[in-house]
Amino acid sequence: MSKNAAQWSAPPKFPASHYVDSRIYTDQQIFDEEKEKLFRPAWIIACHESELQAPYDYRLFTHPAGVPLIIVRGDDRKVRAFYNICPHRGNTILYDPAGNAKRMTCIFHQWAFDTRGSCVEITRGEQGYQDRFCKEDASMREVRCEVAFGGFVWVNVTDDAPALREFIGGAMDILEPYMEQPMEVFHFHKALVRTNFKLWHDTNSEFYHDFLHYFNRITGMMQPGYYERRYTPFANGHASVGSMQIQYDKYDGSKERAVGWPGMARGGWYMVDLFPGMTYNLRTSVMRIDTSVPISPNEVLIEFRGLGLKADSAEERAQRVFDHNMIWGPFGRNLHEDLLGVTGQGRALRQGTDSRYLLHGREENNTIHDEVGMRHYYAEWSRRMGRAAYDPYREGKAEPVRAAA
Amino acid sequence: MIKGEQRQAIEDLVYRSCLALDARDYKTFLSLCDAEFRYTVTTHSPEIRRDMVWLDHDRKGMETLFANLPKHNSDHSPITRHATVYTVDAAGDAAEVVSAIQVFRTQLDGGATELFAVGRLHDTVKLADGAARLARRIVRLETRQLGYGYHVPF
Repeated sequence: MSKNAAQWSAPPKFPASHYVDSRIYTDQQIFDEEKEKLFRPAWIIACHESELQAPYDYRLFTHPAGVPLIIVRGDDRKVRAFYNICPHRGNTILYDPAGNAKRMTCIFHQWAFDTRGSCVEITRGEQGYQDRFCKEDASMREVRCEVAFGGFVWVNVTDDAPALREFIGGAMDILEPYMEQPMEVFHFHKALVRTNFKLWHDTNSEFYHDFLHYFNRITGMMQPGYYERRYTPFANGHASVGSMQIQYDKYDGSKERAVGWPGMARGGWYMVDLFPGMTYNLRTSVMRIDTSVPISPNEVLIEFRGLGLKADSAEERAQRVFDHNMIWGPFGRNLHEDLLGVTGQGRALRQGTDSRYLLHGREENNTIHDEVGMRHYYAEWSRRMGRAAYDPYREGKAEPVRAAA
Repeated sequence: MIKGEQRQAIEDLVYRSCLALDARDYKTFLSLCDAEFRYTVTTHSPEIRRDMVWLDHDRKGMETLFANLPKHNSDHSPITRHATVYTVDAAGDAAEVVSAIQVFRTQLDGGATELFAVGRLHDTVKLADGAARLARRIVRLETRQLGYGYHVPF
C-alpha cells in the first residue's frame, strides 16, 4: 500500500537517532555552517609525503573550508603549509598544482617568499614603502601541518584546534600496523559529483550497499566471514571496519591477489572513515584514500589516491595498479557504481523533490550491514552543528529514544 | 612511405573501431583486433607529476571485461567517439597511427550532449594481405575529470 502526503511526511517509526531529515543535504545555510563548524576546525588530508619528495617540492590543495593552500617541503625537509594568497594584493601565488619552487614568487608584482613563509623580496620596496612596511611585515600565513598516519600530510587552518592525535584518537589503531613501511602515491584523480559530500561519506560508512556491486557480492558477500565484519565507532565521529578474507578469484578476470600488504592476512580489507569526509581503504594490495571537498550543497569534489609501497618492484607496482584499476579506477567496476549511486541520491534529494527522510535504522550488532557507521557520524554532526540531524530546524520532532551508538 | 590504399585501410580500421565501441558491439570491435591485441588507457597527472595507467588489458582481458559488464550497474548514457587520424607512419608490416579523439556523452533523458573526454589514440596496426588489424591501442587522455566515470573503455 502506498503513502499519501501526510504519511510520506511523517517521521519514520524509528528512534530519532536512526533517521535524518533530508534537508541537511540541500540547505545552503546548513552547508555554509558545515564548512565553518565541521571542516574549518578539522584535520584534513592535503596530500601524501611522496608527492613532496625533494626540498622545495610543493603541492596545492583547496581546503574544504575554502582556503587555497600551498604544501611545501622546505630546505630543511620539513613540510609546511601556507595560504596560497599573496599578502600584498590577494593574488594567487602559485598556479600549477605541483612543482618545485625555491622561491615562491607572485607573478603580479614579483613579491617572493621562501619555503618557511618569509617574504624575501618586495620589488622597489624602499621606494614605495620607505620605512613604513618591510619584508618582515609581509610573511605568508602558515597553517598547522603534520605528516602522520601513513605519511599523509594533514593540515588544520584553525590555530587553536585540538592536536591531530587528539582529533584521530584510536580510530587509526586498526590500520597503523600496516602503515609502517613508506608508501607512494601512484594514482590521483578528482571526481566532481552532483551530490552532497555527506552522501559520499555515508556510502563509505555502510556496506549494505554491497548489493550494488556485483564484484563485492561475488568476492565478499557470498563468502565466509562477510557478516562477521564489524564497525567500531570512535570519538569525534570516526569509525573503522574490520577485515575478512576477500575471495578475489571468484570474479571472472580477477584472481587471488598476488601482491599482498606487509603484515596483512591474505585477502584482507580494512577501512577507516574519518569525520567529516575522509576515508582510508586498504584492500589487500592497494591503499585508497578519499578526501571530500564540498563545493555546494549538491556538489562535491572528491580526490582519490591510490598507493603502493615505496619499495615496490616494477612488477609489484604494476600488479597493484592493475588491482586498483579493476574496481577503483575511473573505469573500475566499483567506483563507477558507487558514484552513480550517490549521484542518484543527489538527483532525488535536491531541493523541491519532497524527499523527507533517510533511514539509518538497520541494527545487526554492529556488523557489516548495521547502519551504525552513519548513526555515529550524524550524532557527531549534530553535536558540532548544534542541530539535530533528524530535526535540523528545531521543529519539535521527537527527541531520540536513545543516543546513537 | 605508406600507400594510399593502406592509409585508407588504416583510417577505416580506426573509424570502425570507434563505431563498434559506440554501438557496444564488442564482438565486432574484437574482430578488428589482432590475437596479440593490448589496450591501455593512460594519462599524466600534473598533481602527482606521474604518468598513470587507468586500464590495461590484453585481448583475453578485454573479452572478459566485455563479458562482465552486463552484470554491473552502469551509466546507460551512450557515448560517441569522434576520431581524426592525424599521422600514419609505416614500419615494415605495421604502422604507427596517431589520432585525435573526443568522446561525447548524451543523456538518455532529454538528449543533452556534453564533452566527456579528449585525448589521443596511439594505435599499432598490423598490415597483412591488404587487411589491417589493431595490435595495440594506447588511449592517452588529456581529460582526467570524468565525473562518475564510465565502464566501457574509450
